[in-house]
Amino acid sequence: MDRRTLPSAALAAAALAAAALLPAMTGSRAVLSWTFLVLLYVALAQSWNVLGGFGGQVNLGHAALFGVGAVTTRLLWTGGTPIALALPAGTALAAVTGAVIGAPALRLRGPYFAIGTLAVAEICRITAGNVLPDIAALPPQALAAYTLAPRYYLALGLAALTTAVAAWIAGARFGRGLVAVREDEDVAESVGVDAYGHTLIAFVISAALAGAAGGVFAYYHVGFYPSFAFSPLWTFDPLLIVYLGGVGTVAGPIVGAIVFLALREALALRLGELHLLIFGVLFIAIVVALPGGIVQAVRDVIDRPRAIRTTEVTSTS
Amino acid sequence: MILAQSAVFGLLIGSLYGLAAVGLTLVFGVLKILNVAHGELIMLGGYAAFWLFALWHVDPFVSVLPTGAALFLVGILLYRTLFGRLLRAGEETKLKNSILIGFGLALVLQTIALAAWTGDERAVTTSYAGGVLPLGGIVIPLARLGALAVAFVVVALLHVFLHHTYPGKAIRATAEDVDAASLAGIPVPAVFLTAFGLGSALAGVAGTLAAVTDTVSPSIGLAWTLKALIVVVLGGLGSVAGAFVAGCGLGVVESVSGILLGNAYREVVGLVLFLAVLAVRPRGLFARG
Amino acid sequence: MPASSDLLEARGLTKTFGGLRAVNELSFTVRAGEILGLLGPNGSGKTTVFNLIAGALAPDRGGVFLEGREITALAPHRRAALGIVRTFQLVRALPGLTVLDNVLVARLYGRVRAAGVREARTESLECLEFAGLAGLAARPAGALTLAERKRLEVARALAAGPRLLLLDEPAAGLNPTEVAALLALFRRIRAGGVTIVIVEHNVGAIRDLCDRIVVLNAGRKIAEGPPRETLEHAGVVEVYLGAP
Repeated sequence: MDRRTLPSAALAAAALAAAALLPAMTGSRAVLSWTFLVLLYVALAQSWNVLGGFGGQVNLGHAALFGVGAVTTRLLWTGGTPIALALPAGTALAAVTGAVIGAPALRLRGPYFAIGTLAVAEICRITAGNVLPDIAALPPQALAAYTLAPRYYLALGLAALTTAVAAWIAGARFGRGLVAVREDEDVAESVGVDAYGHTLIAFVISAALAGAAGGVFAYYHVGFYPSFAFSPLWTFDPLLIVYLGGVGTVAGPIVGAIVFLALREALALRLGELHLLIFGVLFIAIVVALPGGIVQAVRDVIDRPRAIRTTEVTSTS
Repeated sequence: MILAQSAVFGLLIGSLYGLAAVGLTLVFGVLKILNVAHGELIMLGGYAAFWLFALWHVDPFVSVLPTGAALFLVGILLYRTLFGRLLRAGEETKLKNSILIGFGLALVLQTIALAAWTGDERAVTTSYAGGVLPLGGIVIPLARLGALAVAFVVVALLHVFLHHTYPGKAIRATAEDVDAASLAGIPVPAVFLTAFGLGSALAGVAGTLAAVTDTVSPSIGLAWTLKALIVVVLGGLGSVAGAFVAGCGLGVVESVSGILLGNAYREVVGLVLFLAVLAVRPRGLFARG
Repeated sequence: MPASSDLLEARGLTKTFGGLRAVNELSFTVRAGEILGLLGPNGSGKTTVFNLIAGALAPDRGGVFLEGREITALAPHRRAALGIVRTFQLVRALPGLTVLDNVLVARLYGRVRAAGVREARTESLECLEFAGLAGLAARPAGALTLAERKRLEVARALAAGPRLLLLDEPAAGLNPTEVAALLALFRRIRAGGVTIVIVEHNVGAIRDLCDRIVVLNAGRKIAEGPPRETLEHAGVVEVYLGAP
């Protein structure tokens, strides 16, 4: 990891540490539930960012991977499998699904990839709605034994894991190859990077992490609607969060998730559905004016004094 | 016979898919961007038709004109404020950014519509709405037949415009090679503006017809956009004729699948077919170059 | 007859686009350690030949051989790993990354692979120095001048540890001073043991730099040999100036 990503990573670590200590500091169910949601969204956003940010491939079918993980975990867990096995199983199946979708899909160029993955997710959503029951309630023993704590720490662990994966990608050889492919595939190939292989691996990693997030989601909810787990919401929320925070950065998904959920909490009460308007406008503003998101804005503010100092030095020499 | 009925029905529905896709593919062909808020423009067109009918009893087949004009202006506004800014970037970035901006715009438009008109489903039911035309053993709903007629006429007029008028040829030339068109003296920025406005106007017309044959509510945008995207790719990005033909074809496929496989999987067949086409011909059935 | 000192051999390469035969039964060899120039008027197929050698395009007929071993079916990244690295006609730096990061990727994936990211960084800085870009390492590649970006392409190619360097019109758009500096760089690269094939329109540069040249017209080889004599060949003059 180079000097530039270090502050970002340190910030991420601090945020996660704070989240770890939170249950000890407050017993408020509302605060802990909200923070759980933030952690879940961090994990989901980091998972999208692997392929979308570092890999540069806009996957509009992310919800399908989330859904596969969620439904698999839920069915296994409510069927009697301990969560310690059900969750990895959901993750693994999501990874396999990612490989199956990604292998042909990544042969397609940019817009076709986006539309193709959108179509795949629609197929999954419709099929899930037809094949799966409308609701999967918890069996009474599980309901009685339900506590928030394990869910909370599971979400925290996943948020930490996904962030660590992002940090690894940002610094390691694989990540540099992936980013080169994102910037210019032909150039990357000309120096030895297997573009298709790299994006496929990124897709599978992204799918696995999304599936894990889905599994945690399924473990958290008492009343679970299987077809809801395939809703396009689980694609577009992380997309929004990633761009809000800073696409292709490690801290972006964390910053974005916190801002997104805080805004939603604050605005939804006063404005109702109208808060989506704010998000839409914010999103457009970011794409048009600040493509690097909040992280970029902060970096620009931090770097400006340094830039001024440099020009002052050169002008006097 | 049931199959024939369903195929005809599918054609009627498909003509709207085609019309919806034509606007989107025109914009892509000329500007090389994908406006994924296209479905929301269709939604706005639908509301325009609804309110014109509800307040002033304007027949929807007549309100096609003012609605188209209004959405043309909306398109110009959107181009000026948003999409026009994208055009300086490289091809892949431009496309990606247009998808992202379109997404944000869709969110904005959807929320505004929800706030202004509530989430209730609206439809335009004219006095002749229930009428049917029996043809052979097949029953053709009049309203849908009218929609097909209007869609066909509009696309035909567009085709004539693009191939036999100077502005239309200028648009096609720009779509083919923007640098050559610029060197030939074609006012490219004006062409971009016009094409985007036209695309939006076509969405408005599609929305008007959708208000007659379907329902309109703030949330219909995403479904229409997805449908239009699929048809656009099937027909070949940038091909107007291809989009209309592919739309009609998709409608037939969906309808027949619904009969054969049950309504629950009606859409899935179309989507799977779409993916199959992408796998074999990654640039669509009728794409050029 | 291909000799044992041949690094690369193109044998009967043919590539057709639509109705146009861009490369037509083209055969030539590149000797280890030489600088070979590839000339021809616009549309003679020079960049297509590069794409065929680098693996970006597959030939309709014919083959490419590296030290006698056929590589025609290998993808571009595999050829890069074997030591065939190309630059691009329209300079393509990775603008969003720093100059160092541009070169770093090549050092991590090329034929000469650094042990780790830290080592790659050190070695990439050396490549930047060799190409005359020391001091620009932290600058975003998009902020460089054209001449600097061309050097960056070369530095990036070098970091991949090439045995055969394909340079596609490196002098285009540069003033005479910049061109001379670039040619000096290429001579230093060759002195380091790298074989170079260069496509160029700048005939003066070709005459000074190349050991041998191959002249193409309409996808066919029409002349081959030392620069001075080949350029005076009647057929070559005709191709550039039109029939008398």
